[in-house]
Amino acid sequence: MATLLYSASLNDCIARWREDGLMVFGPSTAGGVSGFREVEDAGSLDLDLVLTRSTLKELFFPRTEPMLGYRIGKQQIETEEFIPPEGRRIIFGVRPCDAAGMQVDDALFDWDYHDAYWFRRRDSSVIFSIACTHSDAFCMCTSLGLAPDSTKGSDVLLRPLAAGNGWKVEALTERGENALSSISSLLKEGGDAPAPLTDVPVKFDLEACRRWLADPENFESRFWKEISERCIGCGSCTYLCPTCHCFDIQDEGDTYQGVRRKNWDSCSFSLFTMHTSGHNPRATQSARWRQRIMHKFNYFSLKFNVNSCTGCGRCTRECPVDMGVTETLQAISTLQR
Amino acid sequence: MSIQEHYRSRAKELLSSGTVKMVIGYGTGSTPDRRRPVFITSPDETDRLVLDKACRTNLSGYLLREGLLSDQKQVAVFFNLDGVRSLNILAAESQLETAQVLVLGFRIEGEEVTALQGERAADFKSLIAAAKEQRKSQPPHELQEKLEAMTPKERFSFWEAEFSRCIKCYACRQACPMCWCRRCVVDNNQPQWVNTSSHTLGNLEWNLLRAFHLAGRCVECGNCSRACPADIPLHLLNRRMSDEVQGSFDHYPGMDEAQEPVLASFRKDDPETFIL
Repeated sequence: MATLLYSASLNDCIARWREDGLMVFGPSTAGGVSGFREVEDAGSLDLDLVLTRSTLKELFFPRTEPMLGYRIGKQQIETEEFIPPEGRRIIFGVRPCDAAGMQVDDALFDWDYHDAYWFRRRDSSVIFSIACTHSDAFCMCTSLGLAPDSTKGSDVLLRPLAAGNGWKVEALTERGENALSSISSLLKEGGDAPAPLTDVPVKFDLEACRRWLADPENFESRFWKEISERCIGCGSCTYLCPTCHCFDIQDEGDTYQGVRRKNWDSCSFSLFTMHTSGHNPRATQSARWRQRIMHKFNYFSLKFNVNSCTGCGRCTRECPVDMGVTETLQAISTLQR
Repeated sequence: MSIQEHYRSRAKELLSSGTVKMVIGYGTGSTPDRRRPVFITSPDETDRLVLDKACRTNLSGYLLREGLLSDQKQVAVFFNLDGVRSLNILAAESQLETAQVLVLGFRIEGEEVTALQGERAADFKSLIAAAKEQRKSQPPHELQEKLEAMTPKERFSFWEAEFSRCIKCYACRQACPMCWCRRCVVDNNQPQWVNTSSHTLGNLEWNLLRAFHLAGRCVECGNCSRACPADIPLHLLNRRMSDEVQGSFDHYPGMDEAQEPVLASFRKDDPETFIL
């Protein structure tokens, strides 16, 4: 026997959470583009998508957010600190790869500085992940040591039932248990069979890649230029990545009033490393692509003992010139004999 | 012989004879329906070239890669007519010499891909002139008609909603064959002319600025809309600007490399109706 949530009860669950003052978010499509948005009912959820176009990270690390404001008057200077809203949130229908991305960024945002913007939202959110019964040609979680039913970063894991009429429910954290207790009357006990999970083939040997990347001999390899020759230097792979976390701090305003904002930034851009002198230590696009791969699979894993890629495949799926992490790591696997 | 075979052997010929040092074309992608840009430098690798109806990307931007044309050697590029037009504009804007570019021309019509006669940008002049006339009679895009019928306020709301999805990844700019500035105005931060934030104002500023900057220059290749990860119909903005430029000044960008940029030239009989 296991705890079950039938799809037919989902609408009531959402209503219950909302009555309790929680906001409910989930995958939904607007303007033809899917992402995580606040929903009022189950009908607005798009739970059949393999993955949303934009990632879960946007709910924790928005594209742009104000940090502080200032106003200089004749007599005084006023400042205002913007703190992210504290509202409690249920995020329903996350894919395990996106949820795993949360843990990657937890490590980063709690490293030399505890990022209040990130953790305030983390602490007030409950992540309900749904194990994958479908995948596409770009999915590669299994190459990163994850799986269609990974539990990393999730508070509750839902396993689809074979009949397609609901999920087997498993709380993974205390936050998850609490969120389930408020809908306990809507949960059932039963022995319904779970649906088979999708089979995601392993596409490269991650350990072999990591060894190659860690070898200083390969830093100047011709490989980097060849593999990234067609890169046009846009930021779509980084902005659609569930773990890419770089940001820039920008002041908008004038002498008398303005706002300091935290904006997404991307290592794909030449300006990212441009010095005031005009010198750019990463002068070419291939140096920028190398940095992205090195950061994800060498530096970050050495520092935090976790890969900053969860295998969602969005980088390749959305690349205007069909590049991405998969091809690069597959090629490195081959270089490694 | 299929058009693909024809161009594979032409590419092999050009590379073996040393006529060109590189062929920029299309190759297979990571899924059967995808094509990706490929850079062929050896006659033994021309079998990697693919040419079919999935080959949509305008490749002219790659010609401006630092150092590629600085040795005066020639490069061959697969181009449809929009691509040839962008090549003409790049030459008119002093970004390259057309003498260094050999065109492997093709046209996609429905399922059919056919070869275009000629190998130099100037060879396509009459085809471009025909395309100019054809554009005048082209029915407007369905969404464009809907937009024209809106009040200015409704239209503004439409674009505001579209731009709200913009994540400022600049894929539109990077994919655009006409965005060749070595340093884009948004990357200037002393002063910061355009807000880098992807909030309502910042997104409006960026997308409208780009549309105006492309007025009279855009060849409507569609690279921007295809590259946009937020599916913003950017080509509609550019199309609207092109309609205006063609209607007011009879200007069709990229006719030939001698054509003056419409916003940088003056004729006594230019209409002045837009001057308040």
